[in-house]
Amino acid sequence: MSDEEHHFESKADAGASKTFPQQAGTIRKNGYIVIKGRPCKVVEVSTSKTGKHGHAKCHFVGIDIFNGKKLEDIVPSSHNCDVPHVTRTDYQLIDISEDGFVSLLTENGNTKDDLRLPTDENLLSQIKDGFESGKDLVVSVQCAMGEEQINALKDIGPK
Amino acid sequence: MIKMQEYSNGGGGDDGGGGGGPADLAKLQSIMHSIEIACSSIQVSNAYVHVYIFMEMHVNPAAAEATILGLCQSPQPYKACQFILENSQVANARFQAAAAIRDAAMREWSFLTADEKKSLIGFCLCFVMQHASSPEGYVQAKISSVAAQLMKRGWLDFTSSDKEAFFSQVHQAVLGIHGVDTQFIGINFLESLVSEFSPSTSSAMGLPREFHEQCRISLELDYLKTFYCWARDAALSVTKQIIESDAAASEVKACTAALRLLHQILNWDFQFDTSGRKISINVFSAGVRTESSSSKRSECIIVQPGPAWCDALISSGHIVWLLNLYSALRQKFSSEGYWLDCPIAVSARKLIVQLCSLTGTVFPSDNGKMQEHHLLQLLSGILEWVDPPDVVAQAIESGKSESYSDFSNFNSEMLDGCRALLSIATVTTPFVFDRLLKSIRPFGTLTLLSNLMCEVVKVLMMNNTEEGTWSWEARDILLDTWTTLLVSLDSTGRNVVLPLEVRNAAASLFALIVESELKVASASAMDDNGEFNYLQASISAMDERLSSYALIARAAIDATVPLLTRLFSERFARLHQGRGMIDPTETLEELYSLLLITGHVLADEGEGEIPVAIVWFLARWSQTYLMPLEEFRDSSTNLCHDTGYQHQSSTSRKALLSFFGEHNQGKPVLDIIVRISMTTLVSYPGEKDLQELTCNQLLHALVRRKNVCVHLVALDSWRELASAFANDKTLILLNSTNQRLLAQTLVLSAYGMRNSESSNQYVRDLTRHATAYLVELSGKNDLKNVAQQPDIILLVSCLLERLRGAANATEPRTQKAIYEMGFSVMNPVLLLLEVYKHESAVVYLLLKFVVDWVDGQISYLEAQETNIVIDFCTRLLQLYSSHNIGKTLMTQSSSLLGEAKTEKYKDLRALFQLLSNLCSKDLVDFSSDSIEAQAINISQVVFFGLHIVTPLMSGDLLKYPKLCHDYFSLLSHLLEVYPETVAQLSTEAFAHVLGTLDFGLHHQDSEIVDMCLRALRALASYHYKETGAGKVGLAAQAAGINNSNGNPEEGVLSRFLRSLLQLLLFEDYSPDMVGTAADALFPLILCEPRLYQRLGSELIERQANPPFKSRLANALQSLTSSNQLSSTLDRVNYQRFRKNLTNFLVEVRGFLRTM
Repeated sequence: MSDEEHHFESKADAGASKTFPQQAGTIRKNGYIVIKGRPCKVVEVSTSKTGKHGHAKCHFVGIDIFNGKKLEDIVPSSHNCDVPHVTRTDYQLIDISEDGFVSLLTENGNTKDDLRLPTDENLLSQIKDGFESGKDLVVSVQCAMGEEQINALKDIGPK
Repeated sequence: MIKMQEYSNGGGGDDGGGGGGPADLAKLQSIMHSIEIACSSIQVSNAYVHVYIFMEMHVNPAAAEATILGLCQSPQPYKACQFILENSQVANARFQAAAAIRDAAMREWSFLTADEKKSLIGFCLCFVMQHASSPEGYVQAKISSVAAQLMKRGWLDFTSSDKEAFFSQVHQAVLGIHGVDTQFIGINFLESLVSEFSPSTSSAMGLPREFHEQCRISLELDYLKTFYCWARDAALSVTKQIIESDAAASEVKACTAALRLLHQILNWDFQFDTSGRKISINVFSAGVRTESSSSKRSECIIVQPGPAWCDALISSGHIVWLLNLYSALRQKFSSEGYWLDCPIAVSARKLIVQLCSLTGTVFPSDNGKMQEHHLLQLLSGILEWVDPPDVVAQAIESGKSESYSDFSNFNSEMLDGCRALLSIATVTTPFVFDRLLKSIRPFGTLTLLSNLMCEVVKVLMMNNTEEGTWSWEARDILLDTWTTLLVSLDSTGRNVVLPLEVRNAAASLFALIVESELKVASASAMDDNGEFNYLQASISAMDERLSSYALIARAAIDATVPLLTRLFSERFARLHQGRGMIDPTETLEELYSLLLITGHVLADEGEGEIPVAIVWFLARWSQTYLMPLEEFRDSSTNLCHDTGYQHQSSTSRKALLSFFGEHNQGKPVLDIIVRISMTTLVSYPGEKDLQELTCNQLLHALVRRKNVCVHLVALDSWRELASAFANDKTLILLNSTNQRLLAQTLVLSAYGMRNSESSNQYVRDLTRHATAYLVELSGKNDLKNVAQQPDIILLVSCLLERLRGAANATEPRTQKAIYEMGFSVMNPVLLLLEVYKHESAVVYLLLKFVVDWVDGQISYLEAQETNIVIDFCTRLLQLYSSHNIGKTLMTQSSSLLGEAKTEKYKDLRALFQLLSNLCSKDLVDFSSDSIEAQAINISQVVFFGLHIVTPLMSGDLLKYPKLCHDYFSLLSHLLEVYPETVAQLSTEAFAHVLGTLDFGLHHQDSEIVDMCLRALRALASYHYKETGAGKVGLAAQAAGINNSNGNPEEGVLSRFLRSLLQLLLFEDYSPDMVGTAADALFPLILCEPRLYQRLGSELIERQANPPFKSRLANALQSLTSSNQLSSTLDRVNYQRFRKNLTNFLVEVRGFLRTM
């Protein structure tokens, strides 16, 4: 999906940076971090010493927020790390098209039609089944470092 | 499978005690055969060749197990079992038959006639005696233990002549009348019996604790000493043969068993002396100490059997005999090499060591003379194991005189000698301890102890301190001995002057210890492997050791402090000289080690490297020495309290106390400490551990005492720290926990302010910046976009942590400012909860802040404030719930899903805590207007909250033990305190609440079951009382309602009556629960008498066996009628019902569960 970068140049946060520097020691579990160029959610932080009189180092285990892959990194705790700017936007789901795209209602009344459905069968059926049974669904779209993905689904009651 | 069928026809039939005949014999033989096959196949399946056997025999392990289980569960299998025991050639089959006798008899005990019971025990006893020489020892041991268990089961029913009959048989065996094998069996039986009667080793019998307790008391008072004498006589009877003849293997075996039994009996947890009174805790006699001190590395159990044992243990020459036996054995066997760790030597030494810890009223009150004599006797026997220490240590090390393998190391005379010293130290004062040896040697026992330990430390130094060697073990035991002796001196606070000889011994020992620790330290400098966890473990082990070292050093403070000072200066000089030229690592390690030791020696509780060690040292030091309280100083010096100058005082302690007192050097030192803290917080970015230590220990230690706070808040450095914290960006970089800790510490120091106004102002100044920022941020138009930037998230998290820290530090005098602080961010908190709804980490911080803030505030709030807070919490709960209900995460990653679940769990737990905190307003309230005047019904708010939160909770989440616990404690609290509110709940909410109660009733955790039972009792008794008074009570809820499908459903109370009875009669639960269950069952029965009648008669109907049927009917009858139970719910009746239920369960549960 990284080829869709150009799509959100028109958005409100167009000028915002994709990442921010932050001292490794202040990054906590459940926060975000960039590891090997990928935005990750930190699921484990541990501090260790290199040798007995060295500086503390942080050992991060992160899960790529888009593809779920596990990544690890070790950074001296006083150094800076890149932290991705992760945004989540809620949209109401209006339609699911035949070719695997969704149609979403934005806050100002326009539609957003450039987002693909998830490819995983299980997740796909969660959306499709809910939609077909007539539930009112809100999808939350997660966006970081030029990628977008549906990240959560909320049932706000029957139509 | 076919065999199974045959078996159950045979075993399951009606051949309980029936007559003989060839048909019967054939049946018994076929049972035996099937059990033998099952046993062999199980045995074989544990070996490698099972495939072949199964092909041959067509038995799989599950079927084989079922066959054996069938035997245990069949009614009255005794005849078959006895047949197997007597005839089977398969040892395992005999073993299983014995087990089956035990299981069946325990189950059917109440139906067996007195003769049947006795004949079962008699059979087992005769059988083992007759087959005493059988080579399968484990079968014999099993049968012995079955006999012991059965005897205990019938202990309270048997007359004393019944018991005498059994015991005279045992006594004859133990005396050796029937030969040495039988003698062994007799002793073995007594061993099983004693262990069966001792609460910690007894087997479960499905009987109440009182039963076990009564048995224990009875054995202790009437038999234990007799057994002891029998065992001693048994050992005596074979001693001669062992010493005189050459290979007397079976005598040795019997003697070993006897010694083991003696040891076991002395291990008994004696509670009664012969007059039947409980031994009072403090049996004080001069020179003798009875209570054991603190936790130890090595075990030392004190033996206090009471005055009745004096003749058996002390006046009869028992000790002399034992010591003679040991040295005779020692002489005889020492040539054979394996002697030291052969069982008889080990048992004898164990017993000797144990006798060293004999104390209490067993000795007559003669100023401890008799005990001293007793200890001296033992000590002179033990002396040859350890003295002279250098020779013994060398002998062990060179392995010449004794063949030491790795295993035997732990059984050496040296170690047992050390253990004996520990025991003696535990039961005496240091002075008596030291005096003991003086009558037979030119030096005291303490000197021996010191020499012994010096040798051990030398060996440790030579061997590079591998853990698990004998010297390691010996050092730990000896250190414990020192601790035991010196702690009593240290804790009295008086400066007891030890004799010079002792001080010298302690000083040289300490010097050696420091030398060895320094050697370890410099050696460790080079092994740089980052095994952090291992390091942590060894540090905490070292910490314990260091406090023992410290005690030794304090015993000779005149010599040891100069020693430490000298060592320090040497290291510092080396560091300066070698700057840039020599690798300083070794010296640094040594310094680190010295700092740790010095810290322990000078002050009373370490880890990391130099800055960490320094901070640690300061924290510990300041707690003990900095600005000690005036009163404390008065009591310790008895000098005038006006000034801090005490020129007359001579001891270093006094000088130190006044030197760092409030009016002397205390302030400058405090200033330095604050500046050092600033440095660690600012100049060591990212060093979490160091900073945590600074915030959590050093600074925290400072604000713990009011008199220090007074000076602290007056210091420029402290004001700088506070202002840097409130206004500077640098401290934003501290990690989140430290933010919280620092905020807490700073707010706590407000304690030192002159009055409440200035305290509140100080807190406002500290938090103003944070609250203003949150208010401003949440008011921004583009909040939604800005908020998600990482730098803003970091800042918000950091500020929330600070607010939470401040909230944690709420004290009466700062409460007002902290209320204002929370009040000003109420709206921002809700707005932030909205924008960060997808940012779990921030959500959690928001919740935790509110939880802690409410916790600190709620009890002080006035009516109006309470309303505001409750309204705020309700909105918070609603908002959180609306964000999370019906939400699913769209990800394939199982770890992200798992994380999300954990986050949800933590959130919910915080919400429950919030509700509990709100509840506490009803219990603790310091506000000026009463709760009634406030017109707030806390219970309604909390129930409403519960109503919002419970839909978020799934069965999965209840699997988290802490959450489950929180939920049920909240629920049971609500039901107990406000049953009337429950009655007003909507049908749906009521069903939900009670559904979870039903779930909790079957929970594994007995504490949760207990809480549910209490809730149930509250509910039922409320209903019963209300309806009795002509009110509606639970009304429709209790009456039974139509469910959503329009079908009539049982009322809740009926449902619970049914399920509680089911639980009590048929399911597994902890016996501790029966009392609470009775309290719940009683009102339930009163509420639903007709249903109870019906259930009772159904139970009786279902019982096919006529005798059981009538038993059950009687038991049910007396459950509700005996003990003058009446139908009012008062304390007396509850207690009566508890008793009735216990009896009822004992009576019927056994057969109900198995039939």
